[in-house]
Amino acid sequence: MTILEVRSLSRRFGGLQALSEVTFSVRPREIVGVIGPNGAGKTTLFSTLVGLIRPDTGSVALDGRDLAGLKPHKVAAIGMTKTFQNVALFAESSVLDNVLTAGLLRHDVDRAREQALNCLDRVGLREVAGKLAGDLSFPERARVELARALCTAPKVLLLDEVMAALNHAEMTEIMQLIRSLRDDGVTLLVVEHHMRAIMNICDRILVLNFGRLLAEGTPDRVARDPQVIEAYLGRSAEALRR
Amino acid sequence: MKFRFTPCIAILALALLPLLLDPRGYWIRVLTITLLFAAMAQAWNIVGGLANQISLGHAAFFGIGAYASTVLLLKFGISPWLGMLAGGALGGLAALVIAIPTMRLQGHYFALATLAFGEVMRVIENVWTSLTGGPGGLSVPFVPPGFAAYSFKLLRPHAYIALIALLVVTAVFEMIRRSAMGYRLRGIRQNLPAAEVIGIDTTRVKLQAAVISGALTAMLGTLYAQLAVFFDPDTVFGIAGISIRIALIAIIGGVGTAVGPILGAFFIIPLEELMNDLLSSRAAGLSQLVFGIILIAVILWQPRGFVTVFASLKARLSRREAR
Repeated sequence: MTILEVRSLSRRFGGLQALSEVTFSVRPREIVGVIGPNGAGKTTLFSTLVGLIRPDTGSVALDGRDLAGLKPHKVAAIGMTKTFQNVALFAESSVLDNVLTAGLLRHDVDRAREQALNCLDRVGLREVAGKLAGDLSFPERARVELARALCTAPKVLLLDEVMAALNHAEMTEIMQLIRSLRDDGVTLLVVEHHMRAIMNICDRILVLNFGRLLAEGTPDRVARDPQVIEAYLGRSAEALRR
Repeated sequence: MKFRFTPCIAILALALLPLLLDPRGYWIRVLTITLLFAAMAQAWNIVGGLANQISLGHAAFFGIGAYASTVLLLKFGISPWLGMLAGGALGGLAALVIAIPTMRLQGHYFALATLAFGEVMRVIENVWTSLTGGPGGLSVPFVPPGFAAYSFKLLRPHAYIALIALLVVTAVFEMIRRSAMGYRLRGIRQNLPAAEVIGIDTTRVKLQAAVISGALTAMLGTLYAQLAVFFDPDTVFGIAGISIRIALIAIIGGVGTAVGPILGAFFIIPLEELMNDLLSSRAAGLSQLVFGIILIAVILWQPRGFVTVFASLKARLSRREAR
């Protein structure tokens, strides 16, 4: 049983092969980490999955439906959305309006507002609902973006470095949130640079390098894979255990 | 719905104003034109303000409306009221046709593309002599006065029709702003990829907004034709006279809010008239020069338009009430 099926996904930008024959599948309620050095193709992979970037070849199927040629809003309607690495909020709108706008995918304005407040509760930001999104701190903005993505009621949620710039306590909260989302039936793909966090929450890890899927497996196995250590870390396995 | 004090007073004042002005005079004409331009800037505001797609081609729709109702009246004797609906449909259609290729453009590129479209329409109307009378223009034929025929002896009914038009367009703008469509347009304006990823069909929403804006602008063209009685392509399809003036009014007043275009129109149109009145006999171009300097000063003083002044004034008043 798979919810997300990715087959031979390739994408070239000029002289750069950003994705090369990437194939993997994800089971429902799985938390899958995607790691790799900078420029390995992690963000390109996420953008391609949600339809922001068209693949040159290959296919993506979500919950049994082929996503070939579908625009991002159709992909969101079927049940997959992502957050942005550098946080892409509607900065001049209130926090509530940011999240509410996402709720309109499945509800009218009044229901969307209720849903938005629930999602803000979930990320612990209800008290700043009336503030302008652009006035929040970076960690708070990342959580607004998470709430906004949640408000589309996704089956599969792609999180692109939501833990960047978080302190230890905030990171623990987000990790708990990610686990509770899984308990609610959401499947998650997580790009993260923070190794301890990713080793901690993920059931399985995909390692990308130069657009290729280098390795895949449980955190333990990936951490011990000599190829991964060589290519990704280039140093010692110590870094993974830190 | 709670009672809102400021808009009610404003509407009441506007409703009384035509009664105070000389019905054959110059200022009631200025008032009517001001109301008309406020309505046009409000229609423009649906696309320009909510989606931040700055159109410099709205004269295209305005001209289509003016010509549609007048040609129907001249050739088939159809009442301008019906002509206005036909013009609105045509204007909406034209907006759809132009929006399909241009709406994916952003910023200056969109502005230039719409500017070009307005010019193309002006050239077509100049050349298509059999339908439009060409550069010689069209006169709205005289018909016995009456509401059904949209023909009046005095300017007062025109002023009230323009006022009602402004209220209707403002209501449409407000409804859109508060609806799902308004949220979506604001999302598109602020971050396009984010809007797409959370499920907004960005192309479709922009097209819807363009069609509504184009249709309303075209209907206002009929109001102008009936008021002016004579017009030619260079007037109703004018870049400076219509397209840029509409955008300017909304920008000076404050883009994206319902009061902005109204404040902008009541500043720009009377000021322009006043400058012409006071200065045009002194030296050629002096009035335009002074008008231009004032506009530059205003936009430097309030880059986001008069609404900011208006909003801070309102906040100060309500703070005083709360005390």
